[in-house]
Amino acid sequence: MGIQKFVFCFHNVELILSLGLSLTPVDIKRDSNKEVSFSIGESIRDEDIYIIMQIGSGIVNDKVLELLIMINACKTASARRITAVLPNFPYARQDRKDKSRAPITAKLMADMLTSAGCDHVITMDLHASQIQGFFDVPVDNLYAEPSVVRYIREKLDVNNAIIVSPDAGGAKRAAGLADRLDLNFALIHKERARANEVSRMVLVGDVTGKTCIIVDDMADTCGTLAKAAEVLLENGAKEVIAIVTHGILSGNAIANINKSKLERVVCTNTVPFEEKLKLCPKLDTIDVSGVLAEAIRRLHNGESISFLFRNAPY
Amino acid sequence: MRDIIVFSGSSNPELTDRICRNLGLPPGKVELKKFANGETSVHFGDSVREKDVFIVQSGAGHVNDLFMQLLIMISACKMASAKKITVVCPLFFYSRQVESQASKRGVPRGAQHRGSKVPDSVPQSPKLPSRANVRDPSPKSVLSQRAVSTHSSLKTLHTNEASIANPTGYRSWIAQSGTLIANLLTSAGANHIITMDLHDAQFQGFFDIPVDNLLSKPLFQHYITNYVPNYKDCVIVSPDAGGAKRAAALADTLCMPFALIHKERRQKVDTAQAQSELMVHSNPSTSSLNSISFATPGFPGRRSPSSASNGHSAADQQYVATTMLVGDVQDKVCVVVDDLADTCNTITRAASLLKDQGAKYVYALITHGIFSGDAMRKLKESQIDKIITTNSVDQAAHVAELDAKEMVILDVSRILSEAIRRINNGESVSMLYDHGW
Repeated sequence: MGIQKFVFCFHNVELILSLGLSLTPVDIKRDSNKEVSFSIGESIRDEDIYIIMQIGSGIVNDKVLELLIMINACKTASARRITAVLPNFPYARQDRKDKSRAPITAKLMADMLTSAGCDHVITMDLHASQIQGFFDVPVDNLYAEPSVVRYIREKLDVNNAIIVSPDAGGAKRAAGLADRLDLNFALIHKERARANEVSRMVLVGDVTGKTCIIVDDMADTCGTLAKAAEVLLENGAKEVIAIVTHGILSGNAIANINKSKLERVVCTNTVPFEEKLKLCPKLDTIDVSGVLAEAIRRLHNGESISFLFRNAPY
Repeated sequence: MRDIIVFSGSSNPELTDRICRNLGLPPGKVELKKFANGETSVHFGDSVREKDVFIVQSGAGHVNDLFMQLLIMISACKMASAKKITVVCPLFFYSRQVESQASKRGVPRGAQHRGSKVPDSVPQSPKLPSRANVRDPSPKSVLSQRAVSTHSSLKTLHTNEASIANPTGYRSWIAQSGTLIANLLTSAGANHIITMDLHDAQFQGFFDIPVDNLLSKPLFQHYITNYVPNYKDCVIVSPDAGGAKRAAALADTLCMPFALIHKERRQKVDTAQAQSELMVHSNPSTSSLNSISFATPGFPGRRSPSSASNGHSAADQQYVATTMLVGDVQDKVCVVVDDLADTCNTITRAASLLKDQGAKYVYALITHGIFSGDAMRKLKESQIDKIITTNSVDQAAHVAELDAKEMVILDVSRILSEAIRRINNGESVSMLYDHGW
């Protein structure tokens, strides 16, 4: 078994450092006609390759094509095994045929990764865990929950808190977290008119005088979160804090958060948002790079990963 | 025609409209947009069940977005029970990757451009510097050293040399995307590809599905015979050795003389010396700004195109490219033929060389005019007298920009629509290789 090597990582330098490894020198260029060209600066023959790609908002398609080209280049360069580490799986929300002739793009992503030559995928808090079934290769879906539990225990008032799910779809996730923390649980029911838009909201449960922790897997324009915070405060909540795994924060999310009644919005660093952190004092980060690093270490050594589903390393 | 529906991607809706007009069909209803986070959304307004679906998408503009959009459209049609999905892609995606990977010496294509005699395009990727900034302040010395060699914003010969100059003697492994693109299209669900003037005819072999490579040659033939005065006295010129076959075929058919421009690249400076120089500058203690300022003197941006034929300038120490003309063009009208013009370095260089060699008038016949970066500015300043290209790429913006110079757009929609009609009817397409339009 060759020495483990990492092909590339755009933002998550600390993740690589925590494994004590170096990056393989690679060169990614965008030609003037906007095609991607990629070259690898050292031999990767018979190596265990991990390609870490943080895909946030904006240039999603460019990142996806970059990733596919990198995987394919590694495959043709005789890598032994190629693992794509995608903390935020792209197109995860287009996972079903909700209208006639709607694309199941998550399935397309799975097909594309496999046909490019990907042998294993590590991801985190998939929008729907069923997406794992779209793949013909193993998918390790890690959970941010242990890290979130630690954050809540360390930084928030656990005794007077209540976990709130902003929609019915996230009820299971929120209920799981409430169980772990031994807290009560409330749910907001909403009627959505169109994508990225919110309409009417109804609260189920009692939040009077409590610190509400809204838990979701993804925050995009943050319209839902802002509305949910209003509903909760109208119902007598003391303060509202949102904890989301993937802080995509696209469009006018920052403005939405700043003018909303949310006390704080906490995201993990699966999506890079360093520059947004400066624009918005309400944002906070949970570092999950340790979880990913440990998963990579365990995967490379052939150890079980399921320990990480309940426990956050270090 | 039964059970046929033509959809347009967002790259070239005008071409699709023309194709549909020729076929006597309304274009299929499709809503293409993006979600707030940048993911592509596709919604078809027409049923595709058991239909022969054609999707028109050209590979120019924001290539990766367009390609993903195409894949999503194919996949959605497949999932919606389309009978057959044909991709009509006049300019194919990533079609140049195959051949242009490396020269004989293994120098990546990007590096070859650096040695050119015409101002290079400014890289159009605004995201890159910020990305580099994020990675630069890394605490460990190993990483920052590596980060210099992977510095994506430094698109110069020197960075390429740096990644090649590995202590292990390993030469960079360069991604070849041809097979990948073919596999992605097939796995998304495409059953048939229609394309035009593929840069490499070998690209067809990457697919497991039929690929119809249509030719623009008859169009150009028609243009030359009808619009170029005394065309028998003109000379067909290929701007590089790679396009010689294509140009020679055109010259043969029209019984015209033929000339070729040959590019020769010689190394002037000992590479070992250049590399040791580079090592000093990519030292982790120096910031990335230093290496940028170091790289700039070699950046061939400050020379006029007129010095093309004998460019031994002091600034260009790495490579000396000599272009030479094989054939006689003295007092002749030249027709430069190429399949693709992107940054327009090749074509403008060829034109100035031809004028230096005494050519009277220079036509440029280009199938796919991508004209990215500052290509339009270069064309305006160049010695080319008339540019003839096709609407395989949306040319509306280019025509508007190029007011002073005459630009002729030939219409490829008739060839494409006839191919679509024939494929739908199960007739032979080979007639289209030699039509008289």
